[in-house]
Amino acid sequence: MITIQNLTKIFRTEELETSALSGINLQINEGDFLSIMGPSGCGKSTLLNIVGLLDSASGGSYTLLNQEMIGLKEKERSSVRKENIGFIFQNFNLIDELSVYDNIELPLIYNKVKASERKVKVEAIAEKLNIAHRLKHYPQQLSGGQQQRVAVARALINDPKIILADEPTGNLDSKTGNEVMELLTDLHAKGATILMVTHSDYDASFSQRTILMKDGVVFSEKMNQRNVDVFTI
Amino acid sequence: MLYNWIKIFIYHLKQNKLFSFLNVLGLSIGIAGLVFATLYWNNEHSYDVWNPNNENVYQVLNQMGPQKEIWASNSTPFGLACKATIPEIESICFFGNRYDGGLLKYKSKKLIVKKAVISDEEFFNIFPFPIVKGAKTAILKEKNSVAISDASAKLLFNEEDPIGKSVNFENEFYTVRAVYKIIQPSAVEPDYVFNGLIKEGDRESWGNFNYGLMIKVKKDVAIAAVVKKMEKIVFENITQKNAKESGQTVAQFIKENGESKIILDQLKTARLQGTKASIGINFPEGQGNLQLVYIMMGLSILILVLSIVNYINLATATAIKRAKEVGVRKVVGASKSLIVMQFIFETAIVISFAVILALAIVELTLPFYNDFLNKDLTLNGSDFYGQIVLIFVLVIVFAGIFPAIYISKFETLKVLKGNFSRSKSGIWMRNSMLVFQFSIAAFFIIGALVVYQQVSYMSDKDLGFSGDQIIRIRFRYDDWETKLKKYETTKQELLKMSGVQDVSTFEGSFGDDTNSTSGFTHNGIFVQGHNVNMDFGFLDMMKIKILEGRDLSPEFASDTVSNMLMNETCVRTLNLKKPINTIITSGWGNDKGMLKFKIVGVVKDFNITGLKNKIPPMIFVNLKTLGWSNFHFVYVKVNADDLAGTLAELETYWNKNINQDYPFEYEFVDKTFAKTYLEQLKQKNLFFILNLIVIVIAIFGLFALASFSMERRLKEIAIRKTLGAETNTLLKELSIQYVFFCLVGFLIGIFPAYLLLQKWLEDFAFRIDIPLFPFVVALFSLLFLTLLVVLAKAYQVTKMDALKYLKYE
Repeated sequence: MITIQNLTKIFRTEELETSALSGINLQINEGDFLSIMGPSGCGKSTLLNIVGLLDSASGGSYTLLNQEMIGLKEKERSSVRKENIGFIFQNFNLIDELSVYDNIELPLIYNKVKASERKVKVEAIAEKLNIAHRLKHYPQQLSGGQQQRVAVARALINDPKIILADEPTGNLDSKTGNEVMELLTDLHAKGATILMVTHSDYDASFSQRTILMKDGVVFSEKMNQRNVDVFTI
Repeated sequence: MLYNWIKIFIYHLKQNKLFSFLNVLGLSIGIAGLVFATLYWNNEHSYDVWNPNNENVYQVLNQMGPQKEIWASNSTPFGLACKATIPEIESICFFGNRYDGGLLKYKSKKLIVKKAVISDEEFFNIFPFPIVKGAKTAILKEKNSVAISDASAKLLFNEEDPIGKSVNFENEFYTVRAVYKIIQPSAVEPDYVFNGLIKEGDRESWGNFNYGLMIKVKKDVAIAAVVKKMEKIVFENITQKNAKESGQTVAQFIKENGESKIILDQLKTARLQGTKASIGINFPEGQGNLQLVYIMMGLSILILVLSIVNYINLATATAIKRAKEVGVRKVVGASKSLIVMQFIFETAIVISFAVILALAIVELTLPFYNDFLNKDLTLNGSDFYGQIVLIFVLVIVFAGIFPAIYISKFETLKVLKGNFSRSKSGIWMRNSMLVFQFSIAAFFIIGALVVYQQVSYMSDKDLGFSGDQIIRIRFRYDDWETKLKKYETTKQELLKMSGVQDVSTFEGSFGDDTNSTSGFTHNGIFVQGHNVNMDFGFLDMMKIKILEGRDLSPEFASDTVSNMLMNETCVRTLNLKKPINTIITSGWGNDKGMLKFKIVGVVKDFNITGLKNKIPPMIFVNLKTLGWSNFHFVYVKVNADDLAGTLAELETYWNKNINQDYPFEYEFVDKTFAKTYLEQLKQKNLFFILNLIVIVIAIFGLFALASFSMERRLKEIAIRKTLGAETNTLLKELSIQYVFFCLVGFLIGIFPAYLLLQKWLEDFAFRIDIPLFPFVVALFSLLFLTLLVVLAKAYQVTKMDALKYLKYE
């Protein structure tokens, strides 16, 4: 589904050039659950942002669903993004001025879904993520875990092809973090494609495959075997 | 501590150079406006304050006739009877309501005097200007006495002692009895005060309302009782007698001619609150324009409020950026009141700058303002300094307290934990202030357009006469018995000049009025006819049309004896269905009784007094018919080409044959008439300038507020962008609320605009109805400006780097 070849990203300031990504190759197939790990500044977030079309690459190739993404205009990127990609952030990035319902509904509005249809969809996903009773509340009135579930609901509402999660548990305590990770695993089990950036080995262990990055290159790659899974089976 | 405050103030000043500058500028313009208005207010309210009698002295006005006209003049026997029979009245003074002028000679010196008052002997009793030299009492008692102001004394006599010197004024000799000092401002500021106003014949003529009358009452007198007694005198001596003469009962007579009433205006407030005379003027220095005083005050306060609102909005909006500073200060021990003090201190610095800048603006633009008001205002006076301090304090209070308290209330913990910068607190208030600003702006735009339309209506209006290429030249001639003859010969001589097309005259002046009015009754209807005693061909020269019948003409002998014309208004008022050949008993009489006239023509209505007033009923007879020779100008129609040459020729002729001692005075009739709406013309310009200022201030406020509120929403915008919002959608989302505020503000603004303009227009007899057009223009220009400002800012905001705000907030 995603093929990345020799992707580079250079940040230029007046004084110096920093190479954030120097020749990344990556293949993500439909149904993959991939996590990226690495120390601060290794370029993992930059990679995620490029995959999410929030940032543009300096060189190389990035194809999403057999379409080249490098060199697209802002408007085209925006339309690819809203149709195919769902985001989950560390700090949730909910709009405080809007209610939970309105937050979840936003991507549908931008995708020009009819109001009646929107209502059905939002209520369905809220039910699924166990936040239906919170729809009228505002983000500030929710706990961190609930907020992240709202963010997940928003990411999923549009049935995106791929979910990008940037340290989804970073702002949560371990118990709540665990709930969110189980939610993601659940989604994966139901066929979602997920790309996640994380600091936590524990979180990474939920994914199928972990890529370790360092200084802008893919340092190593390993397949995860979840011990938990073994016991539960 | 102060040093610390100043340091942080300067830091923020540097951070927000543009906004700080605009803020100070806005406030200083607002303060400057208020200073201007205050200067004007002070000046108008200081009239006659100097006069120790100002509470005991009253001007007497008469309300007479079915149209309830207010006369500023009185008959002599009435005044004398008041003095003789009403014990509350201590003294009375007759004086000319208008300045007299003329030629003054002393030895070889010749001066044209413009501000002379002719009075009876009581003048200094009513207006006690301090006497510098000469007699202190009974100054004007002796016949042919004059008192002169110290400035005029210096001009005329240099170092000589003026007392006892004999001067010649308009061919009569007067002895200088005293030198006085004028104290300004005053209802009368004469350079010369001559006595001898009351002539022998005046004492018996109850019907001749010739002179201004002031009365001085004893202390603590009930003024209503005095009015009653004066009205009784009028009733017994005028109403009853006239009724008897016309063979009617008193009730009938009053029903037909209206009741005569007396109005007493206290000198202290006469300038601004006095009753404005509809016939004649109240005082030589005129009356104050209370409406303009209020307009100036109101508009300047509006502008100041506008800039204070800007300040508050900006201060509370930026305050969020300073939340952390406040939090830290509180943690290290600052009390709430200290925080309030700090921010008020900052406001005080800003406003000090603004006041200084405002005073500089006032100083620089005062000459234009003086020109506008026709005054000589200066930036001083102990009252004024006090007022400046008061303005300073008030602005600090209104602009400073609110943001200071708002900031001091920030919750320390929330602030320090961050995530405060998106706080919604204060948004509601800022938005309603924005709406308020929009309504002020709408008010000003509508106001300016309506005033503009009224002024252009007045300047474009068909006046019913054409003053094109017609000049009026002052014609001085003292001997009224030969004046007409002199005029005839002058006319013949002038017509010989190649540049002169036509010459004529009438007893009146365009833009002012006819020189006399006479009431008469026909079929039981009373009219106060304005007398147009005119030369043959006058209507023709002025292109005034005859609607029915014919113009007066030298071909008919009776046209100088018993034929008259009437204007439409007069015909309408008298309800004449077939006016031509109707015989009218006029208001003019001789020893054989009242003269009868036959109407031979109806004249189309034309404006004479200016568009504020309705066209009065007019009656037209030939100059010779009554032979009053009460005309002051010769009207000359000149060729457009070689105007300068013609004028020079006329001047030479005038200096040689007519007014040897006087300067040649001429004016184009169009221009004279235009003076009647000069004030509105100035108001139009004033409104235009104020409009610019208001719009600039309001737009700046909108820009600042939109900037801050959009910058606070950067994260939200970033999220929306991430979720796939397109630029157009975002622009719409960001701007829509401002369009809404603009519309609400406009709706609120139109009501006061409509009501106040309606009131303003009420003063004009000839006026426009408030059209829809200014409202439409105001709406669209406001919307346009709003969109321009907001979209520009919104576009800039949507171009931001979404990543930065997703990560680091």
